[in-house]
Amino acid sequence: MSPDHIVHIFRRVLNTPEVNASSDFFELGGDSLLATRVLSAIARDFGTELSYDDFVENPSPEGLFAKVAVVVP
Amino acid sequence: MRVVVVGAGLAGLTTAVDLVAEGAEVTVLEARDRVGGRMHGIPMSASVVADGGAAYLGVQHTELLALLREHGLGVASTAMAGDSTFLVSDRRTTTASRVPPLDAVALGDLFDRLEDVVAQVRPDAPWESPQAERLDRLTAAQWLADEVKHPDAQTFFPLFIGELMAADPAAISVLHMAFYLHSGGGIRYLNAFEGGAQQWRIDGGAHLLCEALAERLGDRVRLRHPVCAIDQDADEVVVQCVPNVQTARSEYRADRVVVAVPPLLAQGIEFRPALRAPRATAATGRGCAVKVHLAYPAPIWREQGLSGWSVSAHGPLLSTVDDSPPDQSAGVLTGFVTGAAASAFSALSSDEQRDAALAHTRRLFPQLPPPTQCSVTDWLAEKYSRGCYAALFGPGDWLRLGPTLTEPHGRVHWAGTETSLEFFGLMEGAIRSGQRVATELIHGAEPAAASRKVMAR
Repeated sequence: MSPDHIVHIFRRVLNTPEVNASSDFFELGGDSLLATRVLSAIARDFGTELSYDDFVENPSPEGLFAKVAVVVP
Repeated sequence: MRVVVVGAGLAGLTTAVDLVAEGAEVTVLEARDRVGGRMHGIPMSASVVADGGAAYLGVQHTELLALLREHGLGVASTAMAGDSTFLVSDRRTTTASRVPPLDAVALGDLFDRLEDVVAQVRPDAPWESPQAERLDRLTAAQWLADEVKHPDAQTFFPLFIGELMAADPAAISVLHMAFYLHSGGGIRYLNAFEGGAQQWRIDGGAHLLCEALAERLGDRVRLRHPVCAIDQDADEVVVQCVPNVQTARSEYRADRVVVAVPPLLAQGIEFRPALRAPRATAATGRGCAVKVHLAYPAPIWREQGLSGWSVSAHGPLLSTVDDSPPDQSAGVLTGFVTGAAASAFSALSSDEQRDAALAHTRRLFPQLPPPTQCSVTDWLAEKYSRGCYAALFGPGDWLRLGPTLTEPHGRVHWAGTETSLEFFGLMEGAIRSGQRVATELIHGAEPAAASRKVMAR
């Protein structure tokens, strides 16, 4: 698993190809409802449940991946 | 062509204006002493009017936006700044996000499952969706119990469906829920303020549009004319009104009739010969919405860093939103009582409703002074609407009612937001239904084929 996996989750949820590892979810038009869908996908794929606050503080694929890596070393 | 339109809501008025433009001789019969139906202005001060019923629109509502432009009406942004307020698990919290303090992963799971079921619906013919029979039989509440077990999803789901559809999940089919969410532009669009279906309000009040349309129609609109029966034979159709001392005439003859009232009211009209297919069944419910408007000297919550947006896990005010006028000449908070909470609230006396709403507001916003005015608009109790936002299709309804939603009954044609597969339940759906039925009458030969064409658009 890598930040790329979260890039794919962003692309699917936001329905846009224009996502890279440092993209800000909210700048790409994401909102809180869609953010919860990213969190549920991360929970399914990584087995890690992040909170909404985690998401807001780290709203990019690499930021969220770092958070996942911290929770599950 | 002589046409009688039953109902001076947005659908009926749109129908009438379009038909008059084509040279038809039109009479609009309206039961109330006002036009607008589920669009109704509630005076909050000398210069401020709140929307008692339909209020919001977004960029996808293209026909509504065009009609507003045509009548010189503007829109006011609903953009919010400041923190949201939540009353969940008996705790009050304020946060920057609009997501309630519930397990975000559970909510994401819920939205994923909702997306899946919405994707299963055929928007042009929900009754022909794969698995339509199963989805039509199951209530939304039963569906949730099977799909998402997390208690936080169970807490959130009725709030979400209440907010978006004014429905109790136990009273609607999954097919209706999925169709409604699809028809309105998708879950995210229907839920969003900025970039969604609540991007704007109509400046000055949504009722202004109906009043502008009615003004164009002049004395073709007859108020206080509740229709009770529609008779037809090979030559013409006769519309009977409830006899009334103020009503000069109680019988109107025409070539065609357009019934533009909600399905529960259409079902209450006596048709001779009788309808071949019903307009509503015992499972069809009233949209469960009560709006509470609270007036303040100014939107003072903003000074406290709050947006006025709130969500509560328990009623009566399941959500509140800042509906203050753009010039901030007054503060208006709108409280939404929806779904099962609306049924309970509607059963209270007016004093009890007011006390409960004010007590809830004190818990949500303890810093605010008491409002200068508290108005309750109870759509469940409205004889000539029977609910708001829109009729709720219960288990079995889509398979029974769907295939004949727009099919004329001889000389009787159908309009109303509940006959529009696009933006069902919204002002946009009402307008599109009026345009569709006007086209059907003008190009009259094959109404059934015409309605199929419009539905597949």
